[in-house]
Amino acid sequence: MKFPSEAALRKAIAFVATLGVGVATYIAIVESGGGSPVCLAGGSGCRTVAESSYSHIAGINVAIFGIVGYLGILATAFLVSDAARFAGFALALGGFGFSIYLTYIEIFKIEAICQWCVGSAVLMTILFLLNATRLIAYAGTTTGAQAPLREA
Amino acid sequence: MSNQREREKRREERLQAESKDAATDRRERMLKLAAGAFFLAIVAVVVVIVVASSSGGGGDTELEGVSEVNQELSGIPQNDLVIGDPKAPVELVEFGDLQCPVCKAFAEDVLPPVIENQVAKGEAKIVFRNFTIIGPDSTPAGTAAVAAGAQGRGWNFIDLFYRNQGAENGGYVDDEFLTAVAKAAGVKDIATWNQERNSPKATEEVENTSAEAQRLGFQGTPSFAIKGPSTTGLEPLGTLGNSGEFEAAIEDAS
Repeated sequence: MKFPSEAALRKAIAFVATLGVGVATYIAIVESGGGSPVCLAGGSGCRTVAESSYSHIAGINVAIFGIVGYLGILATAFLVSDAARFAGFALALGGFGFSIYLTYIEIFKIEAICQWCVGSAVLMTILFLLNATRLIAYAGTTTGAQAPLREA
Repeated sequence: MSNQREREKRREERLQAESKDAATDRRERMLKLAAGAFFLAIVAVVVVIVVASSSGGGGDTELEGVSEVNQELSGIPQNDLVIGDPKAPVELVEFGDLQCPVCKAFAEDVLPPVIENQVAKGEAKIVFRNFTIIGPDSTPAGTAAVAAGAQGRGWNFIDLFYRNQGAENGGYVDDEFLTAVAKAAGVKDIATWNQERNSPKATEEVENTSAEAQRLGFQGTPSFAIKGPSTTGLEPLGTLGNSGEFEAAIEDAS
């Protein structure tokens, strides 16, 4: 099986993580009431989600966790080492799991969907797949050449 | 000479093979760790979701915050949708939509200190007026509040509605939900409440207060206006940010 080159994977990870930082920052600003703190006609589900008790964990806006996670993944994309590969995978795995939990909460607990939060969940899923591919294909290599895949 | 070269070559090959083995080992360890983390993450997500779904489930009409709301508002006079001493010098008017999540946040976090201090002391009264902007369900919610107000339980109804608010236009505002909120809010005569909330008079009142909010130039909810000895009629305040700003506005108006 042939994988994309590590450089290509790292570029893709950096690109998607940058989008993620943007989306999470937008959500953080909107949620903290940076916009006008009113309900307007035809409001979207984001207000409902943002005002719900699930929007903060230990007093911290969940979007802040998102920003930190995306920034961390972005940083690992710039480094070539096993530590970076594993850190990227671990952060994306955590973010992916957290996104599943948040989407579950949106659908079944708050019963409202915020399209920005769904967007972040999609980006995190992509990042998880990219980082998992990077780890599986290149763990243990120093040159960036694909590791020999063992048969069986 | 050639013997030595041969030896060196073999040594190099051996070193290379060893480092290759070490790399393979490292790779295997790392992938095992990753697989372990992956399964751990799956288990963690499943556990958290199971815990979340088992807590606070229950039926549709199971309401939250009933005793808290009724306790907070006990002992403060109410008539129609006015809370506070009818003779209080300052009148703070809230134009709100029961479906609005920001109004919910105001009802839970911003207004309670104002009610506890200035309203309970008789310095101000707060009037709730429906400004239905979110959608068609805002009107039956509003008329239900008006009808609860007629029995002196308007603010209990409003606060309990906010505590149990669902998604905007999510279809939760039905007879069952409204009746549960009214009963929990302490509306005694449910038959009369039903009659009044379905009357054209109640709908007209909700439409009138919405029109008034538009006349004042408001576009979103909650929007506030204030009237007192130091104001010229009902002055629009807009949407203030916190309890302190409301307390200051009431002082300025008195």
